[in-house]
Amino acid sequence: MDTLTHCPYCSLQCGMTLRDGRGAPSSGTGDGRGGRTLEVQPWPEFPVNEGGLCRKGWTATGLRGHRERLTQPLVRDRATGELRAAGWDEALDLVAGRLRDLQVESGPDAVAVFGGGGLTNEKAYALGKFARVALRTSQVDYNGRWCMSSAASAANQAFGLDRGLPFPLADLEQTDVLVLVGSNLAETMPPAARHLDRLRERGGTVVVVDPRRTPTADRADVLLQPVPGTDLALALGVLHLLDAAGAVDTAYVEARTTGFEPVREVTAGWWPERVERVTGVPATELRALATLLAGAERVTVLTARGAEQHAQGTATVLGWIDVALALGMPGRPYAGYGCLTGQGNGQGGREHGQKADQLPGYRMIDDPAARDHVARVWGVDPADLPGAGRSAYELLDALGTPGGPRALLVHGSNIVVSAPHAGHVTARLEALDLLVVCDLVMSETAAIADVVLPVTQWAEETGTMTNLEGRVVLRQQATPPPEGVRSDLEVLAGLAERLGSPVPFSTDPEEVFAELGRASAGGRADYSGISYDRIREEHGVFWPCPVGSAGTPRMFTESFAHADGRARFVAVDHVGTAEPTDAAYPLHLTTGRVLAQYQSGAQTRRVRDLPDTGPFVELHPMLAARLGAVDGEPVVVTTRRGELKAPARVVTTIRPDTVFVPFHWVGANRLTNDALDPSSRMPEFKVCAAAVRT
Amino acid sequence: MVVGSGMATTRLVEGLVARGVAERDQVTVLGDEPHAPYNRILLSAVLEGTHRPEALTLRSPAWYAAHGVELRLGARVLDVDRERREVMLVDGERFGYDVLVLATGSIPSLPPIRGLVRMDGTLHPAVHAFRSLDDCLRLDAAVSPGARAVVVGGGLLGLQVARALAVRGLEVELVEGGEHLLRSQVGPQAGRIIARDLARLGTAVYTGARAVRLTDEGLRLDNGYVLSADLVVLTAGGRPATALARRAGLACRRGILVDDRLTTSDDRVHALGDCVEHDGQVTGFVPPAWEQAQALADHLAGDEVHYPGARTVARLRATDLEVAVLGDPEHEPGEVVEVSNPVVGSHRKLVVRDGVVVAATLVGDLSRIGLITQHYDRRTVLGPTEPGELLMADRPAHPRVLPDDAEACVCAGVTAGAVRACTSLEQVRETTRATTGCGGCAEAVRGLLATRPALSTT
Repeated sequence: MDTLTHCPYCSLQCGMTLRDGRGAPSSGTGDGRGGRTLEVQPWPEFPVNEGGLCRKGWTATGLRGHRERLTQPLVRDRATGELRAAGWDEALDLVAGRLRDLQVESGPDAVAVFGGGGLTNEKAYALGKFARVALRTSQVDYNGRWCMSSAASAANQAFGLDRGLPFPLADLEQTDVLVLVGSNLAETMPPAARHLDRLRERGGTVVVVDPRRTPTADRADVLLQPVPGTDLALALGVLHLLDAAGAVDTAYVEARTTGFEPVREVTAGWWPERVERVTGVPATELRALATLLAGAERVTVLTARGAEQHAQGTATVLGWIDVALALGMPGRPYAGYGCLTGQGNGQGGREHGQKADQLPGYRMIDDPAARDHVARVWGVDPADLPGAGRSAYELLDALGTPGGPRALLVHGSNIVVSAPHAGHVTARLEALDLLVVCDLVMSETAAIADVVLPVTQWAEETGTMTNLEGRVVLRQQATPPPEGVRSDLEVLAGLAERLGSPVPFSTDPEEVFAELGRASAGGRADYSGISYDRIREEHGVFWPCPVGSAGTPRMFTESFAHADGRARFVAVDHVGTAEPTDAAYPLHLTTGRVLAQYQSGAQTRRVRDLPDTGPFVELHPMLAARLGAVDGEPVVVTTRRGELKAPARVVTTIRPDTVFVPFHWVGANRLTNDALDPSSRMPEFKVCAAAVRT
Repeated sequence: MVVGSGMATTRLVEGLVARGVAERDQVTVLGDEPHAPYNRILLSAVLEGTHRPEALTLRSPAWYAAHGVELRLGARVLDVDRERREVMLVDGERFGYDVLVLATGSIPSLPPIRGLVRMDGTLHPAVHAFRSLDDCLRLDAAVSPGARAVVVGGGLLGLQVARALAVRGLEVELVEGGEHLLRSQVGPQAGRIIARDLARLGTAVYTGARAVRLTDEGLRLDNGYVLSADLVVLTAGGRPATALARRAGLACRRGILVDDRLTTSDDRVHALGDCVEHDGQVTGFVPPAWEQAQALADHLAGDEVHYPGARTVARLRATDLEVAVLGDPEHEPGEVVEVSNPVVGSHRKLVVRDGVVVAATLVGDLSRIGLITQHYDRRTVLGPTEPGELLMADRPAHPRVLPDDAEACVCAGVTAGAVRACTSLEQVRETTRATTGCGGCAEAVRGLLATRPALSTT
């Protein structure tokens, strides 16, 4: 039997068909350890990927029946210090009892919840509700802070609303100039690259801004290779030249925006040679880019993690939005600004209340009207809802400290690998009275937990995801879960009951989705008009979609989401990275992904058909010669926070003053910096000062 | 109280606003020009026609007002009375101060050319200076295509003005008294290459020749040439504007003397920018003035500061002339690594001391400027072969034959051998899924199919 669904990994949410190898209907008796096979087949009609997948998608069923799959709860034995198998009732009783005790002792905020951008909308929603209603804690946040939060913060400031792409991905084919700032989509979301190729076949131009000549840059027309952490200076320099040449669309600026003048004053101080000195991009290249943009009818600017994961990430995104606004692009057909979200449900995950300061529907938790509405849907008193809590990194940093949370529940995140300054964060996790991790496999974070709860994975459950376009798609169950495994919704419902929650928690995804719709109604991300049936019929539905709406594939065509309908220019200036290089740490370290792995690798590193190279250190031949490093031989990268030994990869594609380490393995994030963006609270993953020795 | 409203002042005031000093104390800026503070270094681009004059403003009067800073434009300061702690304007108005900052900039030097100044003390109508926005607008108004212009001075500004006028369609000649162009920055070899570039672009260059007299026939040089000229632009250098400081009795040499906290010989008086001399150095560039502004803002906010001195990068801003000078390559001690190719008009020189690039000249080929400047600014310790490599072009990548076990399609994880085992693109797609993911390998796959070893038929 065939089931139409979507890939378990990135924000593209490629459509795929899962074919049950026996062709027998799901009987609910499969043990998940062989006996039945599940095969990935194309789904050519789904428009985002048109049947194409990358190798992660083709091998996505590799965790079915895997020998490392967890199938029973594990509890750390006080006597031996080892994890031992336990029954579900025992494990849930234990967890609920300890949580209650800790809250009695230290207050509701003694328990914290940490979610993920890979959780379905239903789980993200239930998790936020569980925290606020069952635990009554303000301490809930998620790893999406480490993904696209800077872009979210910037888009909210500029447009009054944050939807990654305000248009369908395929619109990119119809633009004239596409500028990708800090995106390596050909490796991180390969099926998206077809739209770039078609754009170029049409005669359009692709520009890539990246310190590395990535596979994406290889198929672009123009590459600018700035020093990591200087993308904002580049944006200011572009706007300087556009303004100098009179290429600003003054009619658009006048009619659809506010705040241009202060931006113009800042950019007047960023002449090309100053930009060159800061960014390392020759002034001639900057001029060529400005000329290209000034002459194009339709320009689309997209940012991704390279621009966003900085202590000035929000400002950097705002700088590029300012460029798009000055050119008069946002809201015009086949043009504008967008963010290429990273995690599978990075978009939906930030809309439904697992963020410390938000309630479902992208409502703010300190807004009394929002609290009233959501409390009514939940059937509780708005006064009982907690206020805003700590952001992700600040939450982890406070664990086990006086006044900080003493227990943490983790859903859909492998913090030990993915947090910045990971050595420190791991020590904080170890300082907890109780760490509970829900996962499919024994991730590095599960391995240090007090209780590990085995949960379902993608093909074994149903739920919706909101992809990078704001398209809500449906992942349908294709096969029963292995015996002993429960869904996150069941885990939350079981704990809520034991904690004496005033309201019950549903375990049926479609029911939860309908409730989510009601909770989001009237909010910025309104899902109330979306149903599972509509998603099946329409290849996904774009939010905002109030009851009766057809959905909104293209936004801002008439007005922006601020009360006055105008977009805001925001004046930002480049101040530099949190940790400049110096004599002891003279190199820039940047991090990123490789094609065959995904995020912390908890899933992909266990898929046999995906190559697992382990971490490596990319460096330029000039730097290699200076250090005496040899391709394939180990080098040691050190920062003020940690050390990593890994083989060198000597490549001419990277700036000679920069080294690159992929972050799918333990190690890279022991090096990264935990300096935070003041508005998004995004850590500065993408640049810190490092030294390399052989 | 700040005297001067140039670029150093703008940066200083931004710093004072950001640090809350402007809220705590009354900050007043006295500028003698009538325009809101603007970006002076873009004037040659305005002249060239590539920068709108309206887009020069760094901070509008509205911005000053919004941050509680009093901005007085057209306010010329006559004297500073340090005893009474007062500043007096030419119109007699007086302002008291607790702390005074002098940011008086530099003034253009007038070369000793007879006929420049008329009997009544005004400049000859054909003669233009090029320092302020008003100078620039006046020259701009005098430009007409086909007119003949002589630029006096072969420094950075002279070259920029010469190029700007040429781009505007004037016939331009340039006179430099020294033996080669850019003599304060580069050596003779680089100077000659720049002169050849200029000549190639249609501008005649006279070096080792001094303009001595301006008459109705034109500008006469000391070698006997007479250059007919509708316009004469003087760009022959500037010097720190110290007159006010000297009259007030502050210690000056070439510039107003300041210490590492930008303080003059009077504790209550600071100075920064083009008018100062710090550690024997007078710079005349914006980046050091801005570094000083940051340091002084910190100091005035009560922080401990130590201004370490400038690392300058002089960058020519002129269409089709590529020149960058880092530090002082002609005088900085160190080992010199140099590649000169007059055939293509490039000259590149690095001065290296203890592995660090301490100065450099780049003419004609600035492809590596981004990296070299980073190394210079960050004082990166390079390996012994690196300076040489920095001056070499990137080696072209060699296309190579993929072995059978090499990965041809990364998305689907397909080896070159697996592709070679197929007979058509359709078969590759069907059986291996190569090319169906990102599509980036399509060309390589076609190449592999085209070079399949033919099956032996014998």
